[in-house]
Amino acid sequence: MELVDSYLKAVRRYLPRAQRNDIVAELSEDLRAQLDARQRELGRPLSDAEQMVIFKRQGDPMAVALRYRSTGRSLTVGWELIGPELFPAYLILLSCNLALAAIVIAIVLLLGHVPFTLKAFLIPMLIEIVLVTLVFMLLNLLRGFLGRRMSESWMWPPAELAHLLPLPRWYSATGFVACGLLTLWWLLIPHFPRLVLGAAAPELKFTPDWHRYYIPILAVMLVGAGQRAVNVVRPDWNWLLPMGRFVADGAGAIVMFFFRMHALVAAADGVVNVEHAAQVARVVNQQLAWGLFGPWLWLYLAITGLVYGRYCLPYLRRYLRAQRGGVHSKHELNGLI
Amino acid sequence: MANGSASSEVLENLKLELRRGCLIVAVLAQLRIEQYGYTLRKALADDGLAIDEGTLYPLLRRLETQGLLVSQWREEDKRNKRFYRLSPEGETILKQLLGEWESINASLGRILQEA
Repeated sequence: MELVDSYLKAVRRYLPRAQRNDIVAELSEDLRAQLDARQRELGRPLSDAEQMVIFKRQGDPMAVALRYRSTGRSLTVGWELIGPELFPAYLILLSCNLALAAIVIAIVLLLGHVPFTLKAFLIPMLIEIVLVTLVFMLLNLLRGFLGRRMSESWMWPPAELAHLLPLPRWYSATGFVACGLLTLWWLLIPHFPRLVLGAAAPELKFTPDWHRYYIPILAVMLVGAGQRAVNVVRPDWNWLLPMGRFVADGAGAIVMFFFRMHALVAAADGVVNVEHAAQVARVVNQQLAWGLFGPWLWLYLAITGLVYGRYCLPYLRRYLRAQRGGVHSKHELNGLI
Repeated sequence: MANGSASSEVLENLKLELRRGCLIVAVLAQLRIEQYGYTLRKALADDGLAIDEGTLYPLLRRLETQGLLVSQWREEDKRNKRFYRLSPEGETILKQLLGEWESINASLGRILQEA
């Protein structure tokens, strides 16, 4: 597939259904006219990087498509929470998240032989709405500070073009902070069990199964944080993001799948009321297995692992071509070879 | 230094707003002659009013939806291209907008003379 077709395919994904073919046909004609004009200027075919200059001038495929949808709607409660530039993306992302959440909840209920009730769907979906809204409110705030730099970043570049885009530093930095906080929380748990066990901590202890999985989970978190830290310093090592996430999320999915199968807490030694502590341990194990470390977590990691695996393929193809002595641009494989 | 960059940002934003108001008139005026997107954008840029690709096409669609433009797909140079031109209603609106433009220009001229 030509790069321009990959770009147009990505734009098409976000266009209003009724006008999709028409708009893509028009954009295709415009882009090809620009590519031809540039090719005539240079007197030779364009490299991938030269084509990318034209695509970047056109803009992020999602932003290009959303201009055809934009009606100036925003989320405003007294003051603007999510502006009209981000609102269409917010609606699309929220719909996808809610659909995915509904599927995951249905799978979890089926696996656990739990009856389907409105409450089982409503609470997680409300949490989803709150989280996505908070993230977009934060992005709206960041837009004010980062302005142009943020509007030039592509949110979900097509896999075939991702290798031509340096990773925005703000994206890696915010990811590093989030991963860093998560890793810090995990590191503090052995010293402050309340961070995961809450008020039940005095009556409970972690089982050997917990300790067996503790280091692998920490390793996965460190890979995630490490990838983001490196990309803050080396945004041109864009291959590191899909490969790092493929490894971290893929390994994380496998570890969490088995982790939650075990009893993670038991009654602490020396408690006065052993029977009560054992009962508390049963309840907490259930909550951990179906809540914090529930199937939603390994399913989410498995899906994101697969998505990033898909993003690794173009890099792998280029690497194999380079090994076979194919023509490539050094820029495309920065840091990899 | 901070003040300098803040006021240049303010200037850029105001310039953008000023241009935004003129773009519709410029696009309608250019489309008195039938053109397709790429040549329209080049013509505007050659006359000093560059418009980015991401803005032009949604604008053309909006103007067409409003009945000010008509479009037609035709093959040219072995490629299918969408040609736009003013509709009869678009011609009327353009005349009225140009009248409005001249009126604003005249008022501004008087204000600047007084100042």
